[in-house]
Amino acid sequence: MTMAGHDQAGLRKVRIYGVLIALLGLMMFPFYAMFSSTLKSESEIFSSPATLVPTDPSIGAYVSVWTQTDVVLWIANSFLISIGTVVLTLLLAIPAAYSCARNEFVGKRVFLLGVLVVQMFAPVVLIVGLFDVITSFGLFNSYLAVIIPAAAFTLPFNVWMLYGYFKTIPVSLEEAARIDGASQLQILTKVVLPLTKPALVASITYTFLYAWNRLLFVLTFLTDASKYNIPRGVFSMVGALQTDWRMMLTVSVIGILPLLILFAFLEEYIVSGMTAGAVKE
Amino acid sequence: MSIAEEYTETPADSRLKRSLTYLWQRRRAYLLIAPVTLFLCSVIAYPIFETFRLSLYESPADSNIETYVGLQHYVEIFNSDIFYQLLSQTGRWVVVGVAGKALLGLLIAVHLNQDIRGRKFFRTAFLIPWGIPYAISAVVFRWIEHPQYGYLNAVLLELGIIDQGIGILGNPNIAWIGVVVADIWIGTPFMAIIFLAGLQSIPQELYEAAAIDGAEKWQQFRYITLPQLKPVILIATLLSTIWTFVSFDTIWTMTGGGPINTTSTLVIWIYQVGLKNGNLGEGAAYSVLGFVFLFVFAIIYLRIYTSGGEEL
Repeated sequence: MTMAGHDQAGLRKVRIYGVLIALLGLMMFPFYAMFSSTLKSESEIFSSPATLVPTDPSIGAYVSVWTQTDVVLWIANSFLISIGTVVLTLLLAIPAAYSCARNEFVGKRVFLLGVLVVQMFAPVVLIVGLFDVITSFGLFNSYLAVIIPAAAFTLPFNVWMLYGYFKTIPVSLEEAARIDGASQLQILTKVVLPLTKPALVASITYTFLYAWNRLLFVLTFLTDASKYNIPRGVFSMVGALQTDWRMMLTVSVIGILPLLILFAFLEEYIVSGMTAGAVKE
Repeated sequence: MSIAEEYTETPADSRLKRSLTYLWQRRRAYLLIAPVTLFLCSVIAYPIFETFRLSLYESPADSNIETYVGLQHYVEIFNSDIFYQLLSQTGRWVVVGVAGKALLGLLIAVHLNQDIRGRKFFRTAFLIPWGIPYAISAVVFRWIEHPQYGYLNAVLLELGIIDQGIGILGNPNIAWIGVVVADIWIGTPFMAIIFLAGLQSIPQELYEAAAIDGAEKWQQFRYITLPQLKPVILIATLLSTIWTFVSFDTIWTMTGGGPINTTSTLVIWIYQVGLKNGNLGEGAAYSVLGFVFLFVFAIIYLRIYTSGGEEL
């Protein structure tokens, strides 16, 4: 390669990095604004114009947020709602996806497409009818009022994701287990599901995130403040006249911490899940 | 002896018998999809039916008394100014939002699809905005755009673009821009990752052949990348259109639809009328109109999803 070629390739790299770093800076700026504000003092946060770098950073807000807000309760509720949704979704989705992957039967196509259509009926368009149904079932103000709709709207992704994955597992493995005397349930739990791990991780992550992030259901179906999740808790801190921005942003940072940890470990599964959800392989 | 065998065999009976035998042989398959079917029927299908029914009634949320009013809600909606205002605001919201996400997503994807170090780091970092609660992104943007203490004002003042703080979210003319920026920020990662997956499936030989033929980078992008990416762009844009159309948390947290309804969209109005104002009947009528839009999107989506499957 000539010197000019080297220079050109180097220049291209610089340009790519330049664009990526600029775009990343743009995407990360809100996180910086959020985090740096939580390190400011109560007086500095209300200085105008805003200081871009805290003049005297302190973690005071993180200390007082434990006593002054219900952040611990909200986090606990978020976990409860997310885990509940994951369990309910998987209990429903695994048998259905397995059945569709292993059997040919009349109505299978209708079932699978019907499930897909559910994804189109976004929660908010359905919220009035859902409100009527939740109240008449007597579920209003219970965790189930949030878990059930969340499970319904995560089912399409889960059924399709697992259906696609089950199909890739060779039937011969199951037959071998059957000859060894394993029951149908044993085959599913001991042979099939362990092999389905990547799809299960993607499913669980997607469902967990969905339930963790949703404001709408909690806003509509839970009036009891002791059952708020993180988004609802943050929303409740937006005051009509006055908002304690420092506390609210601190709660926000704490509220996204579990997700950042999840992202760091499961990035590949999240990406494969997102891709599989939208684009058929 | 099975029930079917007790019948005398006539052609009609044997058809019934065959059907019953068929169902019985596959009873396990049907049994396994039954829970999902039942669940979705009661949580999705029944509320849809309930929404249609409610839209014909006057139904205050705080009482059990429902009065049948027929199509009155629909007549009122079509005769109201707010409906047409909502339509144009929803259109603006979707078009600007989706275009912003698609363009920014494509820009990120094209640059991520290069042989560079730290690709995994960049990919993870770009994905994060998508994964955090919309309500939290919304309050952060509210804070950034705060008329007195916001970072946006601070940056613009620093750069000398403005000489005095501006309140975006309180200004009826530009509030929607303040919200759509947050929405673009939230939705761009999805586009970027889907586009990246699409880019990675383009055969490298196409570029090599084009390079030998002397095609410039831009020509390669124009004549190879874009056409190859077309199905992915189509699906991602359509999904994004649906999600942007129905997005609730961001607008509701940032402005609640205000000031003077200028950031409201059709779905925000469903919530405002049906649940905030407690008029379930009228809210349901707006929902039904929302269904009509979603139905059109859904048909297009299913057509692409089922027919174009091989190309994807």
